[in-house]
Amino acid sequence: MAGAALLAAAAALPFWLNRTQPYFLQLALNVLIVAVLALSWDLLARTGQLSLAHAAFFGLGAYTSALLTTRAGVPVVAGIVLGGLMATAVAAALGVLTLRLRGIYFAIATLAFSETLRVITKQLRFTGGSAGLVTPPLLPANLPAQYLVILGILLLAALTSELVNRSRWHFAFTAIRTNEEVAAVMGIDVVRFKVLAFAISAFFAGLTGAFYAHVFLFINPFEAYSLAISVGALVAPIFGGLYTTIGPLLGAVALRIGEETLRAALGSGFLIIYGLILAAVILYMPRGLLGLWTAAAARRHAGERGVTAPVSGNGQA
Amino acid sequence: MAIFGVLRSGLYSLASVGLALSVGVIGVVNFAHGEFLMLGAYLGYWLFASYGIDPLAAIPIGAVALFLLGGAVHRLGIQRVLRSPELNQMLLTFGISIFLQNLAIILWGGDPRTAAVGYKAQSVALGPFTVGFPQLVVFAVAMTLTLSLYAILGGSRIGKAMRAVAQNRVGASLIGIEVDRIYLLTFGLSTALAGMAGLMIALQLSTSPFIGLLYTLKAFAIIVMAGLGNITGVIYASLVLGLSEAFVEFYVPQGGGWAEGVFFVLILVVLLVRPRGLFR
Amino acid sequence: MSLLVLEDLMKAFGGLQAVGGLSLNVHAGEIFAMIGPNGAGKSTTFNLISGLFAPDHGRIVFDGKDITGAKPHERAHSGIGRTFQLMQPFHDMSVLENVMVGELFGHVVPKTLEAARRDAESVCALTGIDHLADRDVTGLGVADLKRLEVARALATHPRLLLLDEVMAGLTPTEARQAVASIRRVRDSGVTVLLIDHVMGSVRDLADRVAVLNFGKKIAEGSFEEVAHDPGVIEAYLGEEADGEIKPGG
Repeated sequence: MAGAALLAAAAALPFWLNRTQPYFLQLALNVLIVAVLALSWDLLARTGQLSLAHAAFFGLGAYTSALLTTRAGVPVVAGIVLGGLMATAVAAALGVLTLRLRGIYFAIATLAFSETLRVITKQLRFTGGSAGLVTPPLLPANLPAQYLVILGILLLAALTSELVNRSRWHFAFTAIRTNEEVAAVMGIDVVRFKVLAFAISAFFAGLTGAFYAHVFLFINPFEAYSLAISVGALVAPIFGGLYTTIGPLLGAVALRIGEETLRAALGSGFLIIYGLILAAVILYMPRGLLGLWTAAAARRHAGERGVTAPVSGNGQA
Repeated sequence: MAIFGVLRSGLYSLASVGLALSVGVIGVVNFAHGEFLMLGAYLGYWLFASYGIDPLAAIPIGAVALFLLGGAVHRLGIQRVLRSPELNQMLLTFGISIFLQNLAIILWGGDPRTAAVGYKAQSVALGPFTVGFPQLVVFAVAMTLTLSLYAILGGSRIGKAMRAVAQNRVGASLIGIEVDRIYLLTFGLSTALAGMAGLMIALQLSTSPFIGLLYTLKAFAIIVMAGLGNITGVIYASLVLGLSEAFVEFYVPQGGGWAEGVFFVLILVVLLVRPRGLFR
Repeated sequence: MSLLVLEDLMKAFGGLQAVGGLSLNVHAGEIFAMIGPNGAGKSTTFNLISGLFAPDHGRIVFDGKDITGAKPHERAHSGIGRTFQLMQPFHDMSVLENVMVGELFGHVVPKTLEAARRDAESVCALTGIDHLADRDVTGLGVADLKRLEVARALATHPRLLLLDEVMAGLTPTEARQAVASIRRVRDSGVTVLLIDHVMGSVRDLADRVAVLNFGKKIAEGSFEEVAHDPGVIEAYLGEEADGEIKPGG
């Protein structure tokens, strides 16, 4: 019920804002982009694979779509979908290659992969080099419509996240996250689930990247594969509450809006707040905002029932 | 070409050996390692620009400053996650890295700075080759420092204590080694080493807030090649990296740009083919 | 009828031959125990059977089918379940949810989550942890964690259950309860292969016993037979100095 009301409000937002404050509509659009990235990062994190380079798939989607629409005359909408699919395919391949890498090695490998993509994109003339590419627009000059598109993508991502959390996938992901070997012995096809998670996560990142390319009309390797994207995608869920749907959304909204205020004051150093928040969360509230909420709820329940309610659904990295 | 590779590898050794220490002794993969190097470089630039001190002469200052900073960071943050899951440690150091990098952007802007010492442009004849004088000096100093570290690890009491902790934390504490203190000292040492490497970079090249991540990744490549925790292998791995980059720069068209990606490729290849490292 | 056949299994780690030519034949419906001094290769054998390690040499045949190359999850689907010596509950999940993992991915897969939940609840009741169903797994005591391990493995509806040192650390009362539980499990049609050091429980439970030392089987038979085997006594000499394997520890 509350969800439906929220949804209606979110959908109505652009039409109201575009007349009153287009700047805020643009900000809302940016928030939604971060929200999709955060949610898709979290999806992968549920299997214990913490990627430090979500931007790799964002950029891959952006560049795939940009190249297809500018060089091959593919229509923009198709380009966006293909951008997502390309990211998916690459992620599936990378996922298979990195299966055996445990936590930190996996993170390093993703970072290396992202930077490699950036260097390759920068070097090749085909991709526009460091000068970047100009891209054809999606729904030109129609900010409300663009907003609704990314809202749609976010809804799809949120739906996927909820489906995962309410199905047997939740059990598989959580088991894999805790201990892959035990999960395998219990009958879970670890390879299949890990690669699937990677693929789905990358799909949304790629889709969003392609969307970004056709809304901001220009991409270059520095921005498309920027560390800021990866950082935002991982700090938001950690801050908001891992392994849930609401957590990454909460985190994305809070952080992106906070970032906006900091950008004005600090120029390009605004990312500093992400560093601070990440460090602070790890040190002092490893379960994120949602963890504080559920812990508080648990304490209230404990007072009522005399027994400690479980804190489940989100946990430490 | 080979000479350039070798000379550069000296700097890489110094830049990476601290991270190898942190991983080997404490077990923490410090994603912020390069940031300490970057801070050392800025320190060198500042000392030179304000007081005319040659970065090489400033090495002791840099070492102490970065040692203290590292110690503080360890005390305030890292120490608290030593018993947490590895991924928490990774995220914490990643957060520290983002913090320091952007702190530098805020304080000093994003433009590169260089310490233009007098002898920067001089060159020296080395047999049939001509090499830059600064490069040679940096190589000599870096190798000396790296080898001194090896001597300390091998010979001194502290060094032996560090090695003991690296091998067996519980055993080490059972024989009376204060493990927490060793962790603190080791971390400070690793950041000090990074800082010293940073000073040399200020001398040779320019510094910007972004070199931190670059050197962290290169250090990763080196310690992954050496095998995590293998400190002596760092020199060989640095040679591999230095020579590979030089090779690409010389023989691949537009090599300068491609060379940036060499260490990434090395990381990927080693992790996928021989995750235990090449030099175990 | 043989349910599990190990043919000349070998596994070495670096220079150490953990399992050096082990052959075993577990009959359907029996409780078979593997005992032996530490380092004898028992845990390695379990890891080979459940598929976490691949043998250097030899074959594993389960219910007539060669499973030597099968992946761990495939073996679970065929009906091999196991517990772990170092208890490994899944975090961020309640006790009931842990057991549901076994239900959802095991040998007999329920059609819906609801069905899985109901099945898991009955398994919890069977193993005596139903009062803990909604509890988070952190903070559970040793005995309850063991029961959870067994419940989770049972939830996979195994035909062969591998029990890895379930008796360790239990009080005598708990051990008696565990023995009774394991007997009930066998009576419900599950073949049990267990590793243990608690000789009293092994004597009470096992139909047949194999003794391993240095990766090889040095004796096989009933508990009484192996307890008096001179080779076995010698293998244990460092642990039991009075010429006989006495149940009691």
